[in-house]
Amino acid sequence: MRYQNATAYRFLAPYLLIFSIFWLWPIIDSFLISFQATRTVPWRFAPTFNWGRLIGDPAFFNALKNTLLILVIQVPVMISLAIVMAVLLNSPLLKARGLFRFAFFAPVVVGEVAYSAVFRLMFNLDYGIINKLLNGIGLPSVDWFTNVTPAMAVIMMAVTWRWAGYNAIILLAGLQSIPEDVYEAATLDRVSKVKQFFYITLPLLKPIIVFCAVLSIIGTMQLFTEPFLITERGGPGGGTETLGLLLYRQGFRSLNFGYASAVAYTMAGLAIAISLVQIWLTREPK
Amino acid sequence: MAAVTLKNVIKRFGVFEIVHGANIDIDDGEFVVFVGPSGCGKSTLLRMIAGLEDISDGEIAIGGKVVNDVEAADRGIAMVFQSYALYPHMTVEQNLSFGLRMTGNPKADTERRVKRASEILRIAELMKRRPRQLSGGQRQRVAIGRAIVREPQVFLFDEPLSNLDAELRVQMRVEISRLHKELGVTMVYVTHDQTEAMTLADRIVVLNAGNIEQIGAPLDLYDDPANRFVAGFVGSPKMNFLAAKMVGADNGAAVVELVNHRGARLRKPLSDALPATGGDVVLGVRPEHFFDAGQGDCDLTLKADVAEHLGSVSYVYANSGTGGGREELIIEREASRHRANGDDLVVSIKADRSLLFDATGARIR
Repeated sequence: MRYQNATAYRFLAPYLLIFSIFWLWPIIDSFLISFQATRTVPWRFAPTFNWGRLIGDPAFFNALKNTLLILVIQVPVMISLAIVMAVLLNSPLLKARGLFRFAFFAPVVVGEVAYSAVFRLMFNLDYGIINKLLNGIGLPSVDWFTNVTPAMAVIMMAVTWRWAGYNAIILLAGLQSIPEDVYEAATLDRVSKVKQFFYITLPLLKPIIVFCAVLSIIGTMQLFTEPFLITERGGPGGGTETLGLLLYRQGFRSLNFGYASAVAYTMAGLAIAISLVQIWLTREPK
Repeated sequence: MAAVTLKNVIKRFGVFEIVHGANIDIDDGEFVVFVGPSGCGKSTLLRMIAGLEDISDGEIAIGGKVVNDVEAADRGIAMVFQSYALYPHMTVEQNLSFGLRMTGNPKADTERRVKRASEILRIAELMKRRPRQLSGGQRQRVAIGRAIVREPQVFLFDEPLSNLDAELRVQMRVEISRLHKELGVTMVYVTHDQTEAMTLADRIVVLNAGNIEQIGAPLDLYDDPANRFVAGFVGSPKMNFLAAKMVGADNGAAVVELVNHRGARLRKPLSDALPATGGDVVLGVRPEHFFDAGQGDCDLTLKADVAEHLGSVSYVYANSGTGGGREELIIEREASRHRANGDDLVVSIKADRSLLFDATGARIR
């Protein structure tokens, strides 16, 4: 038995080596770095230097506030939208299902830079199609990128556009695993389609919804691309700066790796905490 | 309670016609079983009565009212599904009461109905459990309970016992019979198992490839099948079919030669017109209708291959040997310890205990 295990570990060794060097060690090392003052050479051990700063740093709280705001508004909206899309995709009345499934999934495979550029163009003050549409129905143009609230809205819309279809496909798989005869039984029980959705579909889909929510929470906690490219590095004036962007700014612009590591661990800790709360709140009754 | 009438009911899926004009009258309070092999259209027929499947043509009436355009929910029926179709996230109690709660039925009445169903099915101690915590038999009881709670005019069962093991199937069969007596409600039951059909039904509807082959009481179908399909489908072990040729007429009786049995001949009195001499016919003999040598109208010499001893009876699997084509026969004998490996076995058949079919399978009486 032991010999068999040894053989298995020898086969695993190349992977374990690479995993240890490029995954495990950076994770441990960044944790250690977060306890060091890294603004001056040589780095020195100072446990409260970064963590102390974090507690009182307005930039950190601004980024935290922005990230949580996106999380609280965008994730529920996107998951709700994804559920609606999944139900529509699952409808027997829908023709060309394969085409729609591809179309909903397509945003995920579009390059991040390309999609960000397109969103910038769409929301351009003078030439963007969004303002043209607003003008078309008699509304004034919105200066999307110079005010915080509209800029935040653009970020949320972009993230929703990109990931709603992805979640819808996961939810669709969940929907398709609910047996058809359960709905037939409910129909014979004189339960309306709307009530079937709320009392059968949603409860049976709950584990998948929680899965999508946890994935989305983790993704939003790390949000970087959209505020970096669409609102130009968290603009206007840090109004859309997220924790991911703060980490980047501290680590790779100011080369303050200690503080960046503390931010990174805070992000990971928050993502785990929020996900656990989410799972606990939606746990199956015994 | 209500009668169910099907008039010329046709079902097409695209260009394929699955049910070719079914006519069935089910009396109020009757227990009717649709039986037939897989794909014969029996479940489709049941689902059309339920309203879960549209009717392509014809008319279905429940309690004298045509329900072609009535929603499934408003037909006054309840259905028990093969897979039970319980709501997995609800307790047994919630499963039973769900429909009534959703339609605003008074709470006291809902509780009364749930209590009654749980007593009838003896599931009171399971009320707080969820379906995944129940055995197959218990789940099926809950599924039946959900139907009882609706207090329907007609119960529909779609192969409700096929997911259960043999012992439980027998037990549930008795329960369903008891339930029918207790409730006195019209029940329509679909199965591919002819034993279930024989034991449960007041009347059986035998279906084959979308056609109704025969409708009748279980023993009527057994004793007097309309054609070779029904004769072969009803009864276990199956009826034996012996290839034969019409060789002559004798005073209103057909004389047939059993072509695989060295020219053995049987004189079979008939009331129908006699088939043409020289024509192919088929003689049907049930396993229990073989007698000891010399005691019937025609003796057959067989080679016994295998014997199955069931205690009360034995089934001998025999063949007609090498004379002509080789024909496999199943013969019921009194319980014996006969080992049957290649022994000769002489049996006798009687004209009045055999059935004659023409080449198309239609019965010649």
